[in-house]
Amino acid sequence: MIKLYERQLETHKEFEMINITADVRKAVEESGIKNGIVAVITKHTTTGIMVNEALPCVEKDIEILLDRLVPNDYPYVHTHMLPTYGTCSGNAPGHLKSLLAGNHCMFPVIDGQMRTGGEQNIYFAELDGLQIRSYFIEIMGEG
Amino acid sequence: MVIDIHTHPLLFDEINENRDDLLFRKEQFGVFKSGIVPVDFELRLLEDAGIDKAVLLPEDYSAEAGRAIISNDEMVRIVNRSPEHFIGFAGIDPRREDAEKELIRAFDELKLAGLKLNLSRLHMYPDDSSLAPIYEICEKKNKPIMFHAGYSWEPNTPAKYSEPIRFEDVAVNYPDLRFCLAHMGWPWWEETIMMLMKYPNVYADTSMVYMDSPKNYYSHLFSVNMNLNWLQNCFQDKVMFGSNNPRFRHVRSLAGMKELPLRQDVRDAVFGGNAIRFLGLEG
Repeated sequence: MIKLYERQLETHKEFEMINITADVRKAVEESGIKNGIVAVITKHTTTGIMVNEALPCVEKDIEILLDRLVPNDYPYVHTHMLPTYGTCSGNAPGHLKSLLAGNHCMFPVIDGQMRTGGEQNIYFAELDGLQIRSYFIEIMGEG
Repeated sequence: MVIDIHTHPLLFDEINENRDDLLFRKEQFGVFKSGIVPVDFELRLLEDAGIDKAVLLPEDYSAEAGRAIISNDEMVRIVNRSPEHFIGFAGIDPRREDAEKELIRAFDELKLAGLKLNLSRLHMYPDDSSLAPIYEICEKKNKPIMFHAGYSWEPNTPAKYSEPIRFEDVAVNYPDLRFCLAHMGWPWWEETIMMLMKYPNVYADTSMVYMDSPKNYYSHLFSVNMNLNWLQNCFQDKVMFGSNNPRFRHVRSLAGMKELPLRQDVRDAVFGGNAIRFLGLEG
């Protein structure tokens, strides 16, 4: 049995970590799947799905780390007009931060609940905001 | 006051109620992968960027395309969503039989603030005699024209029709007509600055980030290709900030321009004051 949900959200900052753990837990509970696995997958190439502790200091450290590794002011190659888009690329840092963040996470589903460690939270990470974004929650297992 | 003098609202949800409308506009304008933009979200983008007002530019090639990319009535619908933030221009295909009548309606009844023309797309030189009635209406009604100038990303747009020097006869023959050579007339920026310095009612905008980051691009154009003092001392009252959104995000274009080490009076002029004069909005 497979259940797929698509969620949409509007981001509010260039960099933003949005805690979506409660939404994923609710989707698992509503899916009717008792035992299996849940995957959370972003639809974009300048966002990420992260798992970490939901503390503002940790969130800030993640932001600082990504800015240090991927500075805004750098001679990136992805800075030119894109004929297939008709727009100019100006978001190389978002793409590279997305590479570091990863595009998905997975957790076990046991007795109809998502099973995580006590401090594990799921974040949708905006790395190229503001934008209108989407992500998938896919639950696979036995009903 | 920060004004973005050069934006295109073709992706706004207000006028794209069905998919065919959106696809038509994207194909005509040459924007292929961008999605629909809710007007409420666009207002948040402007607020986030620190832009107080955005000039919205339509285009009309209905004589060949069958309909305008954005009609004048559609432009009014968009502006009415947030009149304090949006300034709508008119579009007119000069080849339309009702071109003069429609332009007068756009100004008198619809209260649109100026006219957008891309002569490269129309395959008309600026001194084409069929454009004279259009220029006369704009001059008489004190409405500025935003001319595409130089390199265009729209399909079927030979740049030769929009070379800045080609607009000199318009400046000579219609001395009270304010017009803007968009995109600084790139790559003919030297011709553009000649026009800026010689003709009091000729303006230009900065919507020209075609390569590199906005910071590097503006720095190179204004500080290496030119001397920054040329902008500060010779045509500081003629250059207006413009982003060309959605071809380039306004927030990033603005951030790049703000990196230029300009005097405060020049910053005030480039980011808003010059646009206010161009638009005829002085108090």
